[in-house]
Amino acid sequence: MSNEKKPVVPHDLFPWKPAKEAGKAPAKKLVVAHAPFWHDGGKISTKNYHIMLAALPAVLMGISQYGAPALGVIAFAMACAMISELVWNLVLGKSISIGDGSAAVTGLMLGMLMPATAPWWVVLLGTFIAIVVGKQIFGGIGFNPLNPPLLALAMLVISFRGIFDFNEALRHYDLGFVMTYPLADLKAFGPAAIEKFSLGDLFMGRQAGAIGSTFGLGLIVGGVYLMLRGYVRWEISLSFLAGVFITALLFNLSDSAKYAGPLFHLFTGYTLIAAFFVVPEDSSSPANFIPMLLFGALAGLMTVLIRNIGAYVDGVPFSILLMNLANPLLDKIRPKAIGKVVENA
Amino acid sequence: MTTKGEQSFAFALAAILLVVGVVCYAAFPQKTPEEPVRLLFKTTAGKVLLDHKTHAADEGYGVACDECHHEEQEDSSSCSGEDCHGPDSEPKRSDALHTNCKGCHEDGGAGPVECRACHVM
Repeated sequence: MSNEKKPVVPHDLFPWKPAKEAGKAPAKKLVVAHAPFWHDGGKISTKNYHIMLAALPAVLMGISQYGAPALGVIAFAMACAMISELVWNLVLGKSISIGDGSAAVTGLMLGMLMPATAPWWVVLLGTFIAIVVGKQIFGGIGFNPLNPPLLALAMLVISFRGIFDFNEALRHYDLGFVMTYPLADLKAFGPAAIEKFSLGDLFMGRQAGAIGSTFGLGLIVGGVYLMLRGYVRWEISLSFLAGVFITALLFNLSDSAKYAGPLFHLFTGYTLIAAFFVVPEDSSSPANFIPMLLFGALAGLMTVLIRNIGAYVDGVPFSILLMNLANPLLDKIRPKAIGKVVENA
Repeated sequence: MTTKGEQSFAFALAAILLVVGVVCYAAFPQKTPEEPVRLLFKTTAGKVLLDHKTHAADEGYGVACDECHHEEQEDSSSCSGEDCHGPDSEPKRSDALHTNCKGCHEDGGAGPVECRACHVM
């Protein structure tokens, strides 16, 4: 039958190979090529605009609480990030890359991590650090070893501590709930000072903090959306939350008069925004299953260690940056390559 | 590589956000309320946050203004001016605040009196 003489390797499986004429045996029976084997039509820009969409509930809550100043910080941070990347592209004569939405996401994340009272020059400096120092000097998107907005935040927190002291920054605001920064109260005065916070209030964003990091429900909804869409690896997010929870629980069980409970740590500070929007950032997090779990869990552990026994009020920026550095090492834990080389076979 | 459509969208987004950001910063600058909500004293022994609103409000502690502000202060909310409790003045700001804060807390049997209960060290 003529059907039996068709090529063994169908042309539509390997479109780069020329179709063999019927009747002739294919030159090679097995073609090996590297990934990706299939393109689902997804784009980097689509992913980034989905991340912005997912962040919207938390951002809107921040803007509704702090008003125009919060909107100013978010909008200015996004604009400055995109302009920084554009200028960098032009100066280096590279192709313009702001169309992929990565710079806008970096600016949005940094804006969400800042207080509504952040001066414009801090926003400008922060976005410059995030885009140029954090990302572009390493080669741009996909090459950054550290999380760019977090690197910028860490440098700003160290350089301008007063601006990121939420008790000082937000002292003129009275939003109808307890306006002291929960983690600062815990650090300075111990668990007795945080009895005034209810977990429900903390979860619903009725707490002082950065513009986009206080609305727990919104962040979780956004995070679950991103995980379901496949833009965020659940392994990293959930292991980070588990790391924070278990470490805080162990501290709390060891001495509840000295250390706060695990739910308090989950719903305060940068925990939730970090879990869903910062830790799982592609370039600075591992790609294999066990490394992802280790990466998230250790970042969570470090976060609570810094909060409970470290010098800083919130350990998120430093714990995740530290784990970013360990990322290449962690990714060495990977499955063995299939097969082996046999000499003289 | 990004498409022309993506680039055009990004340019438009950046321009709009820049305008929004600049307008928000220019038109809505940070304002200090006429009557302070919370005051932050920066001291050599760490920062102290005072909930001014709760202390002054009738539904709060109802402390009368002149119990702390014993002299009329014009155009200044600072206590540490040369005429008030500056470094060469008597009593110094720290002494005046300690006397007022701790004294009142002790007399009323409420409020913190230990150093670490106010000072963030």
